[in-house]
Amino acid sequence: MALNIRGILGRLRSRGAGPKLKRRKALDNMAWTYFPRLKILLLVVGYAWMLCLPLKELSRGIYIDENALQPGGVNTNWNWGDVHRADSYLSELERLRDSNATSIERTDYISLQFQKLRIPTSIQNYTFYTRSGPIYGSNAYAILSSPRYSGAEATLISASWLSRMGDGDGTLNLRGVATVLSLAAFLNQYSLWSKDLIFVISDGYMEGMQAWASAYHGRTQSNMHAEPLQLTSGMIWTALDIDYPGHSFSHLGIFWEGLNGRLPNQDILNSFHVISRNTGGVPVLLHDNHDPNDDNWRDPLPVSWLPSTLGNNGRVKDYAYRARNLLRHVTYQARGHPSGIHGLLHQFHIDAFTIFAVPATGPHGFHTLGRIVESTLRTCNNLLERLHASFFFYLLPEPGTFTKIGNYLPSAVVISTAILFSGLRSWVQAGWVEVPVPASKEGRAKGSQVVKWERRSRPSLQAVLIILATHAWGVPLYFISTWPTPPRLLALACLCSSMLLASRFIDKIDSDTRKIAPIWMLLRSFNLCFASTVISATSVLNFSLAAVLAVLLGVPLSFSGPTDDVLTSVTLRFAYVLLAIFWFTPAWNVMDQAVWDWEFLGGYFSPFICMIYVPIIWQAVIVASLTNRS
Amino acid sequence: MLCVLLAAWAAYANPGVESEHFEEDLVIRPLKDGRIGTRFSFTTTLEDVSPRNPESLDGDDDSQHYTLFPLTLGQILREYAITELHLSLNAGKWNYDTWGMPDEPGVATGGELWAWIADGASTSVDQRWQGLRNALAGLFCASLGAMDEQRTTSPSRTFRPEGSLPDWGHPHHLRHAFLPSEHVCTENLTPFYKLLPCKSFSGIATLLNPHRLFDADWHGMSIHVLWKEGVGIQVRLTFQAVLDPIRNSWNKKRDWSLKSLFGRRIEQSCPISSASQIRVSIPEDQPHLFTPQPSGVDGSYAVFNVSGGEWLFTDVEMRWHNETSFQNRFTDPRTATGKQNSVSALSVQRTLKSVNKYRGSLNVAVTNNRGDDIQTTYLETIPWFVQLFLHTLRIECNGTRRGDLLDDTTYTPPIPHSRPTLYQSTLTVPAGSTVYMTMDVTKAFLRYTEHPPDAQRGWDLPPAVFVPIKAGQKGSDELERIYTPILLVDLATPDFSMPYNVIIMSSTLITFIFGSVFNLLTRKFIVTKVEGNHKTDETGQLESASAGGKD
Repeated sequence: MALNIRGILGRLRSRGAGPKLKRRKALDNMAWTYFPRLKILLLVVGYAWMLCLPLKELSRGIYIDENALQPGGVNTNWNWGDVHRADSYLSELERLRDSNATSIERTDYISLQFQKLRIPTSIQNYTFYTRSGPIYGSNAYAILSSPRYSGAEATLISASWLSRMGDGDGTLNLRGVATVLSLAAFLNQYSLWSKDLIFVISDGYMEGMQAWASAYHGRTQSNMHAEPLQLTSGMIWTALDIDYPGHSFSHLGIFWEGLNGRLPNQDILNSFHVISRNTGGVPVLLHDNHDPNDDNWRDPLPVSWLPSTLGNNGRVKDYAYRARNLLRHVTYQARGHPSGIHGLLHQFHIDAFTIFAVPATGPHGFHTLGRIVESTLRTCNNLLERLHASFFFYLLPEPGTFTKIGNYLPSAVVISTAILFSGLRSWVQAGWVEVPVPASKEGRAKGSQVVKWERRSRPSLQAVLIILATHAWGVPLYFISTWPTPPRLLALACLCSSMLLASRFIDKIDSDTRKIAPIWMLLRSFNLCFASTVISATSVLNFSLAAVLAVLLGVPLSFSGPTDDVLTSVTLRFAYVLLAIFWFTPAWNVMDQAVWDWEFLGGYFSPFICMIYVPIIWQAVIVASLTNRS
Repeated sequence: MLCVLLAAWAAYANPGVESEHFEEDLVIRPLKDGRIGTRFSFTTTLEDVSPRNPESLDGDDDSQHYTLFPLTLGQILREYAITELHLSLNAGKWNYDTWGMPDEPGVATGGELWAWIADGASTSVDQRWQGLRNALAGLFCASLGAMDEQRTTSPSRTFRPEGSLPDWGHPHHLRHAFLPSEHVCTENLTPFYKLLPCKSFSGIATLLNPHRLFDADWHGMSIHVLWKEGVGIQVRLTFQAVLDPIRNSWNKKRDWSLKSLFGRRIEQSCPISSASQIRVSIPEDQPHLFTPQPSGVDGSYAVFNVSGGEWLFTDVEMRWHNETSFQNRFTDPRTATGKQNSVSALSVQRTLKSVNKYRGSLNVAVTNNRGDDIQTTYLETIPWFVQLFLHTLRIECNGTRRGDLLDDTTYTPPIPHSRPTLYQSTLTVPAGSTVYMTMDVTKAFLRYTEHPPDAQRGWDLPPAVFVPIKAGQKGSDELERIYTPILLVDLATPDFSMPYNVIIMSSTLITFIFGSVFNLLTRKFIVTKVEGNHKTDETGQLESASAGGKD
């Protein structure tokens, strides 16, 4: 039997070998011929997909995946007495504000309030050593031990002294702090908590929570001194940050983007959405972007130039609204900048988000917020396990809907595939040289068009060394990016010209291109393959960053290469340089924040730009400035 | 003849009439933070009886006739020849700093079981330990069977026998296990009632109202069996609870009565108890009022006799004079952090800090709140999946490294998938200062079958135990143990939802196919004609044909 099968297989193989090889060859030829069109097709599909991301058709309604959560399934007990208590805390906090109380006086007051509630409390002092001098601060926190439970798990409720308004521009979060204090008094009355409740009133904006969370998880950093915590509890599973800067609110906004683009499990956002709608009767916003049907809707920027008939079209308006939500998300996630203090907790596997009471003239206040937070905490309290189930990949184009990973991820990956194919084509091109075949030697010559492809060697070492050099060159670039603007621009100009000069020397490497591949082909091949790998790998870690990279690098890299025309070459190189260093110009003002994030929070955006993004474009600049040999 | 033999055997098996007596006691202590600590204790003593000698395990056991002693427990003890046994099932985290030392030292969160078992039987100590676990699991409806060899240790420096050990010429061994994830609830209380001679119908046990006890901030039950030379075998059943009268009071007062704490009153005393009393700790320098007047004062306790008191149909009540609402004593959080005015001599904080799933550090901070140095034993029993690196142990005190504070270390390394780590040492904590110990740990990568059903919850680590050694009291029977809170550790866990779906789907499919095939193979298909008897032969042929076909 076995022999028989082998015989049949052998016969099949011998019979099919000829046509199979031919078919394969034909296919290869076709791929080679149609490759430029395929590349353009992939790029068009990728960019079009990006533009389609805000479409309603790509998203679906939210649902609760974790059955244990049961959002909105409880009667809330928060009542006017608790609102009154919050009001009295608020008036005390306002008194502290008006008397210009130091952070030590504030934390003393807050921790005294916790003591009055019989909740064990402590204070943590911290210092950040910045270039402009040390920043001192003091966090007050309290841990309400869950009755009847071991306290191995915990839920965090926090409010920072500074609101996230204007990224911590100095607006005080007094009502947020008052809400947390009043919640502590209220939650203490119940024995149903299965997790310890940790209340943290952190000082400053990001600094306080960074010091507290680092000390809690035993992480140290050289430019920060944070006192060890006197009180600790178990593993923190979920965290709510309450931000209530205004007098009252009409909508609650959620901020969920974390440091380095980490996101909380979507279930907790969905639960909050359900609770806010059903228990509190408050519409939910993404960030603080209002709905087009809302009175607060500002004329959306992308459609202001459109004719008014088109601009007022429902679908266009809707598209603009969803696109704006996504763009706002991208500005946080791609930069890896946390959109609130919750963002510092994701790295410790804590599902956290900020509830932002969008300032308005009414109608909601402490009463609604308290009920919603109470119900959300009850939902977190129901958890028997950490939130899991792969609910970490999502885009939120609109409150109540989300885009699944399968619907958004391909957009960036398709563009990165186009880049990859260009790079591989370069690699093949580098390995073969077209040699005209003399008609005399070839017996069956049919004309002068006959060519022969000959192998040539591809010395990769030089290209790899050049690539490494450009990445190493990112290190001084990083240090330059920490300087103030005028010397920074000067140094940037110096670095750019040094790089352009260096490419003159690289051009000297090429010798006989019939035996050895020209350096630009190898360089281009490595550059493109590397860029494509970076985009594909980033796409699952931080989709927004991958999308930004794909959009910025897709076309420029796919069509990179030396040109013979001097004017085109110079224009091209200038464009590349602009693409590389526009982040550093004061008009964009991205790097200052990014450098601060890297130094104090560990956000990797600025080193990524300096040591990955800019060098990738620099490699393209070098390729463009080399002599076009084939 | 048979009757005579039976009578003779009975006389042999039950040589003397054992005398038994039963005592019950309730201690109520107002605590510093306004809560009320309560401890129920029910003691049955079987006089002049010694535990079963393991050598006699091969033969038949004496018959057991008890009047008050719980028979179900007695059977287990004799079946496995257990000399001393301690079982506790607790819920909550005992706050030593504000509640002080508990009346019953065993306050570890979750389950804790330890026993002293003598050698000398044909079955090994470990086999009998396993039998004991399973029998108690059945008796108390608790998952004590999970205290397998992966959790069992023998920390004899920390858990000394509380009674006496009979000298049978064979050594006694300690077996100890923690089960931190066990939750105590009503299903454990019902078997507890059943072991009491008066159940919950009369006496102090009336107050064991599950609605109130399981609402308490801390509650736990324990069973202690020990043998005291010259006294006999003692079974002590205890229930401890820390109740919060302020939480349930509208005006935030800490006045209490039995009715307000337990929702019940004692309406009848237990007729067979030889002593039955309620003792209330008298607070120092704070004006208070008892109603009714206590029947006596015993040291710092006001004593109310339950047997025969005329207040039986009323209540015990305690009120604080001139206190409109309870005010927590203010301490400066910047200097004191709630520690300097701790009730307890030692304050212990133990955390497992880690940023990732494969590494972390175990941090223990021990604060001495007294004016003189305290020596204490330190015990860690950590399951194998968290491995300690002893060489990374750092001890710091007042900012300097103090390796000399740790002494007398014994360490049993873990064996992956079977034996836990056992680490014991003696630590000296200088007066009024804090000793910080840190040790690096790695977290193991588990086999997928080793994950529990709630894999994403993490694993509970048992508490560490500290036993302060008082000067000149090194071999004392009664040791004050301090348990740290338990820890939760996150191990690298796969997302089980996908494999589980596949397993469920394929199992359903296999079950369906198996069911159909099994049905087809075992069922007989017979053509029967309802009318007329002449066709029966034909049916028989069909039947045999189908049977033959299957072969």
